[in-house]
Amino acid sequence: MSFPAHAGTPGSPVGRVLGTQDASPLTFWVAVGSDAYLQLDDVVVTQRDLPDRGTVTISGVVTAVRARHEGAAFESDVFAIADGMLPAMVQEAAEITVTRVEPEIYVPPAPGAVAYRAHGETRDAALSFDRMQRRLPIGIGRDGAPLFLNADFLDGSRGAHCSISGISGVATKTSFATFLLYSIFTSGVLGSKAESANTKALIFNVKGEDLLFLDHENNRLDEPTREAYHKLGLEAGAFKQVTVFAPARAGDPSGSPDVASRLTGVDPFYWTLSEFAEQRLLPYVFADADDERQQYTMVVHAVAAHLAREAQPAGGGLSIDGTRLGSYEDFVDYVVEQLNDDETRSTWAGSSVGLGTVNAFARRLISSKRDLARLIRGDLPGGRAHQISTADAGQVTVVDLHNLPDRAQRFVVGVTLKTEFERKEKAGTAKPLLFVVLDELNKYAPRDGTSPIKEVLLDIAERGRSLGVILIGAQQTASEVERRIVSNSAIRVVGRLDPAEASRPEYGFLPPTQRQRALLAKPGTMFVAQPEIPVPLAVEFPFPAWATRPSEAGAAPRATLASMVSATDPFAVVGSTRDGAIPDDEIPF
Amino acid sequence: MSFHVDAWDPSYGASLDASAPGPSDGLDVEVELPAEQWRPLDAPAGLAPPATVLMVDGVRRIDARIWTAGIGGTPPSPGLACSYAAGVVRCAAGNASVAAATVERSIFTSAADQSDVDAGSTVRYKAVRIEGAQDADLMAAMQTALMQLEQRTTTDVLATLAGGDELIVVDGPLRGPGAPPRVIGYAKTQQKQYLPDHLLPVVGALSPGQRTPVFRIGGRWSRYTWYLRQPGGIPIPWSGVVRLECSAELTRAQAIELAELSTVTLPRYASSAVKDPRAPQQLVPIGGLEQRLRRMLGDTKLLQRALAAASVRQ
Repeated sequence: MSFPAHAGTPGSPVGRVLGTQDASPLTFWVAVGSDAYLQLDDVVVTQRDLPDRGTVTISGVVTAVRARHEGAAFESDVFAIADGMLPAMVQEAAEITVTRVEPEIYVPPAPGAVAYRAHGETRDAALSFDRMQRRLPIGIGRDGAPLFLNADFLDGSRGAHCSISGISGVATKTSFATFLLYSIFTSGVLGSKAESANTKALIFNVKGEDLLFLDHENNRLDEPTREAYHKLGLEAGAFKQVTVFAPARAGDPSGSPDVASRLTGVDPFYWTLSEFAEQRLLPYVFADADDERQQYTMVVHAVAAHLAREAQPAGGGLSIDGTRLGSYEDFVDYVVEQLNDDETRSTWAGSSVGLGTVNAFARRLISSKRDLARLIRGDLPGGRAHQISTADAGQVTVVDLHNLPDRAQRFVVGVTLKTEFERKEKAGTAKPLLFVVLDELNKYAPRDGTSPIKEVLLDIAERGRSLGVILIGAQQTASEVERRIVSNSAIRVVGRLDPAEASRPEYGFLPPTQRQRALLAKPGTMFVAQPEIPVPLAVEFPFPAWATRPSEAGAAPRATLASMVSATDPFAVVGSTRDGAIPDDEIPF
Repeated sequence: MSFHVDAWDPSYGASLDASAPGPSDGLDVEVELPAEQWRPLDAPAGLAPPATVLMVDGVRRIDARIWTAGIGGTPPSPGLACSYAAGVVRCAAGNASVAAATVERSIFTSAADQSDVDAGSTVRYKAVRIEGAQDADLMAAMQTALMQLEQRTTTDVLATLAGGDELIVVDGPLRGPGAPPRVIGYAKTQQKQYLPDHLLPVVGALSPGQRTPVFRIGGRWSRYTWYLRQPGGIPIPWSGVVRLECSAELTRAQAIELAELSTVTLPRYASSAVKDPRAPQQLVPIGGLEQRLRRMLGDTKLLQRALAAASVRQ
């Protein structure tokens, strides 16, 4: 096969536009030359000269390839051909889905026109990278060159939020989310150094102690991986400034964090009973409430209001009407008792609530004792740092939930997100940004029903863009996540999918062949859809340079070697968290 | 009474044309064996087929029938616009490829002033004048032109060969005397009776893969020939029988060697009745080559239209 070799061709010739299949301005087929090949995701460019309008460059991505014997009429002919009896030609053809037409004159490419494999600038133009002012590296393409995301669609300038789907274990959703964060922090797309440094991330760790070592270098980091990072313009390394929060150990009077593998640089978190009452956290105990229409939610809000009004802090505990409550169990028993008492019921639950509704509330409250007693404490002082806050923490805040029961996980996620969102709301500016990485979004924001957490997440999805809270949500099945959250995500990422899941309309952004490919995507391969490019890009992101499990953790960074006790401020006045309104008798001297 | 249905597609004519006996002048049946020893011969054990087999074939098609206006009141002259192509397929172990393929287009006409016709893009019909020709003469001229093209194509391919042990099979009888030494003609239909009646039962007794002894026939020019029964026919006499021939300028030993070589080589290429209407005589590579050549002739409706358009322009 020979091609006209004239100067200024956009790449190396690989074939010609097919005339036996319809060529359209949006898709066309290319017959691949016998001495060339095209694979899926290759970038192909062809040109057409128009009278008066100059040359139109049509570029696209290979979305299907096929090979067949020409001249064979029967299936058994393949044996005759292989035996050297029947002359036949192997002909490959590739389907090109158009990604860009420049200038925008939507004419079909001319059948017979030479198709080129795009390199360098032509490739970047085909994938619209040249139009991106801030390019966020997200991995390497099948052609070995870097692929980018338009940061405008992630940081809220023109769009925000990222939704990552894929089955557990092989889809590497969390790894991709952390890689995305690493790229955001270190690639400099956020502008000035200060801006990058002030941007925060909040990660909830739900699986093992995997994410507790983000600030440790990965001991499996080798030279080829470093090369891959260099190719993307990044320096391989661990996250700097990671603050790890773990739940306080159950029953431990010192409130030490409950972690097994990471022993230093972990801060405990818990809520004192007085904070619980004052911040009206009671609704989050019922975060699995699957339906707002349930009557008892009225009781929840009535009790929460009553608590906020009546409860007085007493040490870490609570004092209500002179009764001191020193633990969550005591608190629950007291509330249930009050509700069962005919005289006090109406002051707690309101007057028009039926007994059945009150009992439904009481039943659920009692069952929460086992799960939440370790998080809502009356035995620990409120003075020491024990609350999750990204404002005072390092760049990355990891909240460890893995050894908490489901109900407690919901409580922590709900309260933390609410607190952070309110803090950003008060701050009034979007910058610096806060990225929230939350796995199992289908659990926290299911498609059906409502819950306090879902409300917070919806708030983030719909208003977070302007407030600077960016959600990086991950889930096994996007079809089970609230539609408004998924549809608000500008960036959609898919790893390996379950076959039944892949056929759902939530993945309509994947062309049929990519849907099929997603069923066998390797770990480390993701399909990334972004608003500017009509075809999702198949991305291979490099192996994490930070430890993703305890066994991978290299040497601990110096900063974390300080004792965890140092996080406690011995000079803090007990109760000083209460907006300066310190009752005199609470000052301990 | 017993009868059988010919495996051949009726549109190709019968595989055995039981017409009048042919010329018997120059017949020599004792080239290989004395007449009384004639019997079916098996392929010699241990003889390997050549590594490369070349097969030559051509296809032709009448694209349009044209009439060239006469001058000064004379009636218009008939003409045939034809496309024809010849090609060579090279069969080697594991790979059959078309080694050469050429297409020509001509207008055969009796008109004196018919010029070449440019039918757009790269299609050009060359005018060939045959004085006073009638329809049959025009057809014959087309056949001759195709044969010449086949010969040219074969010569071109032969020139590229190093002169190894290739066997060259030409589809149809040899076109004339003086064929190169390793070329054999492959006649699929038996239109004439060459053997005397008393030897015909030997042909009927052939099993698949067997041949008759070599004999020499005369006619317009003399050549060596033998019958071979291809496997895959129906189990009755004369089914799947082809006649092969080679140049009479070879020695008897060379002719016998070629006959033996054809017996070990050609049965492998016999086609199957489910795929080819001319099975088993039609050779598989030639079937593939014909298909390719027909594609190269182009779309007949398109050519007709182009010719019609050209006729208006002129």
